[in-house]
Amino acid sequence: MTFTAEELKKLALPLLAALLLLGAGGGLIWGADVALKAALRQAALAQRERQLSTERLARIAEEEREVKEKINVYQRLKALNIIGEERRLEWADAMARIRAQRELIDVRYRVERQRLLLSAPGKPGNVDFYASTMRVDLALLHEEDLLRFLGDLRDSGNAYYAVRSCSMSRTGNAGGGATLVPRLRAECSIDLITMIDRGARQ
Amino acid sequence: MAAKYILYFTAEDHYLYRAARGELALDAKFSGDDPGISAFREYLRARKDALFSVMVDLAGEDFHEDQVPLLRGRDREAVLQRRLAQRYRDTRLAAALSLGAVTTGERRNERVLLTSFTNTQSLAPWLDALDDSGARLAGVFSAPLLAPALATRLGVRSGRAFIVTATSAGLRQSFVEDGKLRFARLERAAEMVPQALAMFVRSETLRLSQYLTTLRVLPRDAGPVQVLVVAPAGQRAAFEQVLQSDARLVFRTVDAAEAEAAVGLKRKPRGTAGEGLYLHLAAKSPPREQFASSTERRRYIVWQLQRAVVATGALGLVACALFAGMKWLDVVQARSRAELQAQEARRAADAYARITATFPVTHTSTENLKVAVTEFTRIAQRGAAPERIFAHLSRVLEEFPQFEIDSLKWGTGRPGDGQAPRPAGATPKPDPQGELETVEVSGRVNATQRSDYRGITAQVQRFAAALGTAGFQLTRTQLPFDVTSEGTLTGDIGGAETDAPRFTVVFTRKMP
Repeated sequence: MTFTAEELKKLALPLLAALLLLGAGGGLIWGADVALKAALRQAALAQRERQLSTERLARIAEEEREVKEKINVYQRLKALNIIGEERRLEWADAMARIRAQRELIDVRYRVERQRLLLSAPGKPGNVDFYASTMRVDLALLHEEDLLRFLGDLRDSGNAYYAVRSCSMSRTGNAGGGATLVPRLRAECSIDLITMIDRGARQ
Repeated sequence: MAAKYILYFTAEDHYLYRAARGELALDAKFSGDDPGISAFREYLRARKDALFSVMVDLAGEDFHEDQVPLLRGRDREAVLQRRLAQRYRDTRLAAALSLGAVTTGERRNERVLLTSFTNTQSLAPWLDALDDSGARLAGVFSAPLLAPALATRLGVRSGRAFIVTATSAGLRQSFVEDGKLRFARLERAAEMVPQALAMFVRSETLRLSQYLTTLRVLPRDAGPVQVLVVAPAGQRAAFEQVLQSDARLVFRTVDAAEAEAAVGLKRKPRGTAGEGLYLHLAAKSPPREQFASSTERRRYIVWQLQRAVVATGALGLVACALFAGMKWLDVVQARSRAELQAQEARRAADAYARITATFPVTHTSTENLKVAVTEFTRIAQRGAAPERIFAHLSRVLEEFPQFEIDSLKWGTGRPGDGQAPRPAGATPKPDPQGELETVEVSGRVNATQRSDYRGITAQVQRFAAALGTAGFQLTRTQLPFDVTSEGTLTGDIGGAETDAPRFTVVFTRKMP
């Protein structure tokens, strides 16, 4: 059967309608497909979230024990001002105080610029560890003066003092005169470590 | 569904019925003369593009059984058209009804029933009027063409049967064999009382039976033939009283109302007789075989094609909607699953929050508390202090009073760094091998003659060995005299005693 132009014209509109209907059907499938993919993603996320929450809840007893264990250390660090901004003035005060108390002949020091030592991921914020290296040059009468100096420094707080190196040598000066002459020289490199808890409430 | 118009064509008057929702309504009546045709044309003018069928109920019909080669498609159509043209002068209203395949010798043939009207001239002006008006002609049917469908609806699906109905045109008798029309005739019938009509039915059926036997359409030894008689409404009892079965004919009478219910005709106009059944079947389920040519039905075919195209689109939409619906069911399930998981996660988080609320009060989160303390502990464990080394050295020196220390270097570093202490300011990094504390001790050996190099060497070696105890490991010893084969050995025997011999000892300890 061969169609005339007029008959083809009559068939054009139904054909268009059929195509529109099929297009609408395709649109329905596409929409459903998009929605399904989104729903499956959402379900996977929710499942992961539930898994994490459940696991965290299951670990709570262990966590409680861990918190109780660690809280004292944390509070001690806080009390010693190891947690918080560094306190360079307090460090300078401590150096002066130790020199005076121990009657050290000569104490020279230089604190380098602060640098980031470590950034540990936490929640809600990271815990950043900083170090400032202090180089100390001491004139000593006796070897024990160095050990006393280091002990005093540790007791002064305001940072965790990690001694990296120390060298000690004789000055060659013989004692016995009226004035106190240093017999030994010591040079030490000490990291002054502080930390900032970005997740802590102010 | 759109209404369909059916022109009921008889020898006298022509009736135009409108069929919709199982009901028949008489829309117009036309006389068979020229004014009738004019009125019909006028009627059609207001119903352009309407859907029409023609149901012919005329006496002059021809039925001729023939055989053609078993063919398909256009070849079959061409052969049938040739056979029709050979038998009928005017093939405008001629049809070939298939009676099934038959094998004769080695050839396979198709039995066909060629049928037409002896006088098509009376129909032509009416069909021309339909064509001129632009109406869509679905088909031209005759009452016999619809008789097999009526028989099926009334329970006769196989075997031989006469279908007898009283229409406005007369008494219509159709002979049907296994659901196929074989013969039909229309006998004019005047107004009669039921008993007379029943007797007329009986006598005419007997005549037809004898005629068909003569033609060998009905075999002589075929046994009794069923006669299905549709009695006018309320006349069934009278018919049954008259129509007694015998050895040749077995009568079964069906009331008109019962027959109408069987075919699904809900309502018909008053005065419409048995033709109502055929008209309803022509409107509701017309047979594929009819008299109009495809040229005359062209508008109808295009219209059907239009509907088929849209229906295909709609079907596609429905299929897509069903498929999308199934996907949406999956979406709903996935969402409810996600919601369930989210609820469980919230419950777990709430329980966690309730429990952690009883923890000691801190100014930080539990996570940060753990991280801060753990990392600090790690740093502190990696740290070292010189005090322990100094104490160890002091204890060893007490055992060796003749040794005097000039310088002491202590530092921490990785094994690869050798004895060199870590450069100041270097960032401490955890090492899988661990870090080392390294001490370099330089000094002199007093109270021993310089010339006693064996004694001095032995003392320094003992001193170094003493340093390499209590967890410390001796790394390097530089003796006052180089006694190795690689070194240079010098001496000044008999010379003046100058400085005490100098040595260097390096020892290490692995840091935790």
